[in-house]
Amino acid sequence: MAPFNRRAARICILALLLGPWAATAQGQAPGALTRDGVDDLRPIDEAQWNAQRAAHLFERAGFGASPRDIERALADGARATVARLVRPQGVVDPGAVAFEPSGIPDAGIDPFPEGRPQATDAAKARGEAIGVQVKPGGNRRAQPVVDKFFFWLRVSALECNRIAYWWANRMLATERPLVEKIALFWHGHFATHEDKVRDHRKMLQQVELLQRQGLGNFRDLLIAVAQDPAMLAFLDAGVNVKGAPNENFAREILEMFTMGVGQYGERDIREAARAFTGWNFQGTRFRFDADKHDDGLKTVFGREGRYDGVQMIDLILEQPATADYIAGRLYRFFVREELAPATARHLGAVLRDHRYELAPLLETIFLSRDFYSAPSIGTHIKGPVELLVSTYRRLGLASVPGLPDFNETTRALGQHLLHPPTVAGWAQGRAWITPGLLIERGNFVRDLMFPDFMAVANDRYPLITVGAEVRSVHERISRGLDVTAATKPEETMSAGEGMSQANRTLDREEDFNTRYGSYRGWQKAVEIIKPIPRTLARVDLSAIVLAGNARTTADAVDLLARRFFSVPPGRADRQAWTAFLTGEFGTDRIDRAQTYMEDGLRLVLHLMLSSPDYQLG
Amino acid sequence: MKDIHAQKMHDPSRRALLAAGLTLPFAVPRLARAATAAGADRRILVIFEMSGGNDGLNTVVPYADDTYYRLRPNIGIRRDRLRTLDDRHGLNPGMTGFERLYKDGRLAIVHGCGYDQPSFSHFASMAYWHTAAPNSGEETGWVGRLADVLRPGGEAGTLVNIATSQTLAVRSRRHVPVVFDDPERFVRQARFEERELIERVQPPPEDGNAARRYLYEVAAGARETSRQVRDACARYRTPVDYGLLPLDLQKVAALIDADLPARVYYVGYRNNAFDTHVHQVDQHQRLLTYVSDAISGFLRDVERIGRADDVVLMAFSEFGRRPSENANLGTDHGTAGPMFIAGKPVRGGQYGDPVDLGRRAADDNLHHTTDFRRVYATLAEGWLGVKSEGAVLRGRFEPFALF
Repeated sequence: MAPFNRRAARICILALLLGPWAATAQGQAPGALTRDGVDDLRPIDEAQWNAQRAAHLFERAGFGASPRDIERALADGARATVARLVRPQGVVDPGAVAFEPSGIPDAGIDPFPEGRPQATDAAKARGEAIGVQVKPGGNRRAQPVVDKFFFWLRVSALECNRIAYWWANRMLATERPLVEKIALFWHGHFATHEDKVRDHRKMLQQVELLQRQGLGNFRDLLIAVAQDPAMLAFLDAGVNVKGAPNENFAREILEMFTMGVGQYGERDIREAARAFTGWNFQGTRFRFDADKHDDGLKTVFGREGRYDGVQMIDLILEQPATADYIAGRLYRFFVREELAPATARHLGAVLRDHRYELAPLLETIFLSRDFYSAPSIGTHIKGPVELLVSTYRRLGLASVPGLPDFNETTRALGQHLLHPPTVAGWAQGRAWITPGLLIERGNFVRDLMFPDFMAVANDRYPLITVGAEVRSVHERISRGLDVTAATKPEETMSAGEGMSQANRTLDREEDFNTRYGSYRGWQKAVEIIKPIPRTLARVDLSAIVLAGNARTTADAVDLLARRFFSVPPGRADRQAWTAFLTGEFGTDRIDRAQTYMEDGLRLVLHLMLSSPDYQLG
Repeated sequence: MKDIHAQKMHDPSRRALLAAGLTLPFAVPRLARAATAAGADRRILVIFEMSGGNDGLNTVVPYADDTYYRLRPNIGIRRDRLRTLDDRHGLNPGMTGFERLYKDGRLAIVHGCGYDQPSFSHFASMAYWHTAAPNSGEETGWVGRLADVLRPGGEAGTLVNIATSQTLAVRSRRHVPVVFDDPERFVRQARFEERELIERVQPPPEDGNAARRYLYEVAAGARETSRQVRDACARYRTPVDYGLLPLDLQKVAALIDADLPARVYYVGYRNNAFDTHVHQVDQHQRLLTYVSDAISGFLRDVERIGRADDVVLMAFSEFGRRPSENANLGTDHGTAGPMFIAGKPVRGGQYGDPVDLGRRAADDNLHHTTDFRRVYATLAEGWLGVKSEGAVLRGRFEPFALF
């Protein structure tokens, strides 16, 4: 009884603290948000600190407030609360557990070939590739190489799904929410995609780097990211060598990471690319190849010198556009889309004046009157990862449920961790919402309230992409067919003439069979990878409603709205939900319905969280 | 029959009819199709984006030009491997589908498409192609503006964008495009007892919160179109082979077959697939095979459902690649590249001047010979019958006599 009572007491306090919530937000004149405080970067008075503002802070600087977060924030005051977020070094965080690797063997994997043809060409030339020897005789002599090639692709993809789960659990359980939130920001900023990196080790290292240094100094972070093997692999840095500079790496550093489009010339990019020549990776480590570095004179931003990569980064950081750009990106992520030029310059100056230390800038933002002004509150369209994690936090879950699958859901909503869509990361704001994605968000809530338990344990089964092909090979091999027969493409339409070229030209190699390799690689990968626990969310809405002392269905709807929404839903919606709940309960009295009310509450929460208002944070 | 025909002239009731028809598989949609006379309003444009910067020189190969082989000693495609178009150009060996379309006179190739002061950034250059306004701050997409002119009333379902998130090209002032990826997921899942409420959307609150208003508007549109899309795709069966990757074109065929009100469909090969910096030969050929198979399969399918006269497809990429190969048997970001317009209404052949490999810019890049907006103007004016100058494109761009 004791733990329940404590929890109940907290929820009661929260309900009281949030009392003014509806009144403040609804009491405004219709048609326009008050502009009080907009673009005012002075800190708010401690006297203005209240539960609504604390909730806003935790919504933006983290993944939503727990009742305990609000209690402590009110006790500590605004400054101490923001300090704890932006300088969390002393905060004890039992949620910051390390990733538990599956223990994937990686002997011989480095350097991993560009593609299957390079793997088999190397095997032919040297009799060995990726740590596997070609068989001295027999059929399909290079088959083991092909199997291992696909094995590595598959284990990396599956292990990355586990990494995403681990990260999401940290977001959910953390006592240092801004560490995880800003790591998520940097992940979009320094966008790196698993499909191209094809190495779970490098992807994990990068996430850990963003968590470790995301709140530190931007110069240190930028250098670390630019020397991070995942990034170097992603941007083809390894092929950027003296005499044959490859501009991809330098272009992204200037355009995406530091200055923004249009702040530099094409010549600056070509010269910067030369400064980064020789930057490479070996396995999971940064490596500088001095003999591939071009140490000649370079002219960048009108200055000349024998710049190396780090000096190049320092030159970039000296450009006024850089601090403005970074500060503006952070502001748009944490506050709102619209950013006045003067405010942008002011924020850029804060970053520059503190030599690119991020904490003072974030402190300025999170304490500013602007951050707590009406246009900043409840106007942010939550990203998919924010939506899922904050929903779980509000439900009081201890871990991210295994169903609905975190990766599948966030991918469907447009934000699959470790898989940003382009080098520009994820577009924010309205780009998160289309008719289809809005529907998908409601479906996520349904999958949470009423899980599709038929889907348990299907995550590693080859359902996606080449899944159909792998399944059909598996069935035929299992029936005892030979490799050629088992891997023959299944006919679709008219055999021969009407068949597409892709279906006719695959698998004609004699030394190995790609399709079989893909199948065996998948099978071996599933053997190795630790399963993601498919626990369902233990949702207890009845306890929430009882603890909040709701007496009527209208109270219950209001209570849920306060707990889950950043903007108060309209009266018509609340009335409709209340009527629905009363219909489900057969009464409007909670005490009468309390022995059976869970399903009705889950239905109404599904309706509520499917609404447009729930997408705002 | 007469009543049905009359209703189809009015959009709202047409949609109502459509919605009703979709609950009765096969019978009603076929009736509806039979009842619709061939007219300008049935014309459909499909846009196919090849993201990443397609290597135009290894797509439509200028095999008669020795410079090509000199610039690409390792990745140049030998003449005997090409699918020869004429005495100067041949298609990449992977493109049997395109070869057939070309020989049937249903494929137009426009050479050397690009724009002045090119950007070599995927992001920026794609934005230029999307907005049709290079080096400007234009916020709407050219396809979005095209829809604004075609249907100024902003009728729901005019623009369909099959993607995980909305592309800038379809951003419009008057239309909220239908954006979906997996049609199976394009529906609100709910228990029987929730059915009535789950689809209900209140009018947006007048509180000055622009993001909130946007969400309400999208929610209202979602309800209307999701059922149409889902039913159409679920019902669709075709014997036509689209190759290994249908690249969403099968979904487009399903929606066309179901008589959705869309005039423009926007799909693509996603995730920067054509960004072939390293060891590109096999990879690039494979990409082109998928594209060529999917597009030719789609056009065969459109013919099968009796809509060949109504559908034109255009394929493009945000830039071409450098004429010189790089040290890694790949190519870096470049400038001009070919655009493709395919379909039965198209007058097949080659348009525009081929790029001059001998006359390159200081940075080794090609000079474009055709402003890509001439192709946009061709599609707007020649195909959809809409004046392009002004509302759709800034300035006058001469269309090709391609239809």
